[in-house]
Amino acid sequence: MLKIENLHAEVDGKPILKGLTLAINPGEIHAIMGPNGAGKSTLAYTLGGRPGYDVTGGSVDFAGQDLLEMEPHERAAAGLFLGFQYPVEIPGVSNVQFLREALNSQRRNRGEAPLSGGEFLKVARAQADAMGMDMDMLKRPVNVGFSGGEKKRNEMVQMGIIDPRLAILDETDSGLDIDALRVVGEGINRIMRTPDKAVLLITHYQRLLDYVQPDFVHVLSAGRIVRSGGKELALELEREGYGALAA
Amino acid sequence: MNLALPSVRQEAWRWSDLSGLEAIADAPRGAVEALDPSAFFLDLGGPRLVFIDGVFDAASSDPQGVTIGPVDAATDHPLGRAATGTGWTLSLGTDHATSGPVEIVHVATGGANHLPGRIALAADAQASIVETFLGIGWTNRLTHIDLAPAARLMRSVRLLQREGFVSLRDEAEIGQAASLVTIVLGAGEAGSRIDAALNLSGESAFAEMGGTLLCRGDQRQEAAVVLRHAAENGASRQTWRAVAADRATASLAARVEVARGAQKTDGEQSLRGLLLKRTATVNLKPELEIFADDVKCAHGATVGELDRNALFYLQSRGIPPAQAEALLTRAFVADALDRIGEEKVREAFVKDADAWLDGEGVSGGSAT
Repeated sequence: MLKIENLHAEVDGKPILKGLTLAINPGEIHAIMGPNGAGKSTLAYTLGGRPGYDVTGGSVDFAGQDLLEMEPHERAAAGLFLGFQYPVEIPGVSNVQFLREALNSQRRNRGEAPLSGGEFLKVARAQADAMGMDMDMLKRPVNVGFSGGEKKRNEMVQMGIIDPRLAILDETDSGLDIDALRVVGEGINRIMRTPDKAVLLITHYQRLLDYVQPDFVHVLSAGRIVRSGGKELALELEREGYGALAA
Repeated sequence: MNLALPSVRQEAWRWSDLSGLEAIADAPRGAVEALDPSAFFLDLGGPRLVFIDGVFDAASSDPQGVTIGPVDAATDHPLGRAATGTGWTLSLGTDHATSGPVEIVHVATGGANHLPGRIALAADAQASIVETFLGIGWTNRLTHIDLAPAARLMRSVRLLQREGFVSLRDEAEIGQAASLVTIVLGAGEAGSRIDAALNLSGESAFAEMGGTLLCRGDQRQEAAVVLRHAAENGASRQTWRAVAADRATASLAARVEVARGAQKTDGEQSLRGLLLKRTATVNLKPELEIFADDVKCAHGATVGELDRNALFYLQSRGIPPAQAEALLTRAFVADALDRIGEEKVREAFVKDADAWLDGEGVSGGSAT
């Protein structure tokens, strides 16, 4: 599904990713862990196409298409979802308005008919219910006045409505208490744990992996994957720390 | 007409460009066919008036209680003084109201047209007036407003001219506990100058003036409002949003004066500009002049660009860049139009703003 080959990327002229290679197949959940500054968020933003994250080498193939040639909204329409570490507040735009426009833009881009207001609300209500989010919150401006946990919950509601093929979740566990962590973890499993979908989970700590069991764990250090293994690698990292690996 | 136009060397006109006005005024009328005004009535059930090039069009009007004739309005305003003579008057007696909002559609076909209007509401009278400006040419208006104690007036003005210039001059006396709310939408392609002097002369009077100016191409639109609190306990609100794209210029000058005896005045002013391109210009000038010591006057003025983080967030969810920009711009202007009282009017104005944001432009008349 996603094939990253020898990816190099820089921010403000500073090289951050230095030859990253990773392949993700349908049905797999991969976790990328690593110390601060290793390039975890840069990887997420580079795959999402954020302006200012410049690819200087390598290639990324997403389901047979050259991901790096696509605009951010085209990547979304192709089935890529980027979960933000810090979801953005947008005053004056309601969640419902935003998500309906997002979903219908993607559908148009894929040549599908847009959903009517009623059809959309049905989908939105089901996803909000599943994440324990009040419909009233969906009518409020995007993330404005939401707590850290509510923002991450909202990311999962969005992911459920958009129903992507590949989710890249950037530190979705940061700022969550134990209860919220469980709800978000269950959301990821419910929406993405199917044979035709895949997840790239970027995280600093092992604790989210108690709820979302990864098939593969990779350690990112100084812009490259320095070690890969199964889920036991996450436990080892938790025990030993990143220091031993960097050394 | 021999016009003594103000110069940009005068402080109140420093952002104006009136240099093209004489040429527009000298151009012939009838350069475009008059638009069908009926498409711009909102079916609000009140009087309807159509003015074509400043001349009352009885055939397409139903003026009910609004009269046509010499208007009792005088001013020394440099543009407003050209708009005297015959015009329209809405005069309501004590505790009266019109059958529904008064709708006035002004259609211009080229050249210059000048027209005065007068609104006089006796005590406790209530009215709402919706004005729409269409076509091409220089359209110049003077509106005198006189509100007796506890009278209430809501004005909604939309500028949809395709070409030329629209100048509005409002002069209002607002009596004790009376209320005047004026909301303006500039969503056409013409230049504009919205100019007002509002005097809160009675105790506990309320005045609000604000709106949204949407500018693109080489368009210049500006609002210049002077709001004077002359009596105690008055309240005023000015919420303006200016959006400038391309090489356009949007300017807002809003002044609040609080006279010596006008204690307990509560004034609020929010001027915000949005630059959609680095080549565009937004000028903001908030001014407060306070001679009373027990007043509350809040003011804010900011100019910025669309939030890049928000733009990327919307795009990452599948919304194409142009649509993402339109969505954020719509959110930016929304609170200024929210103040329109009647739902139908508000919806029509929001639709006009949306059409501008979607890049369709507004129908100001088709060229012949």
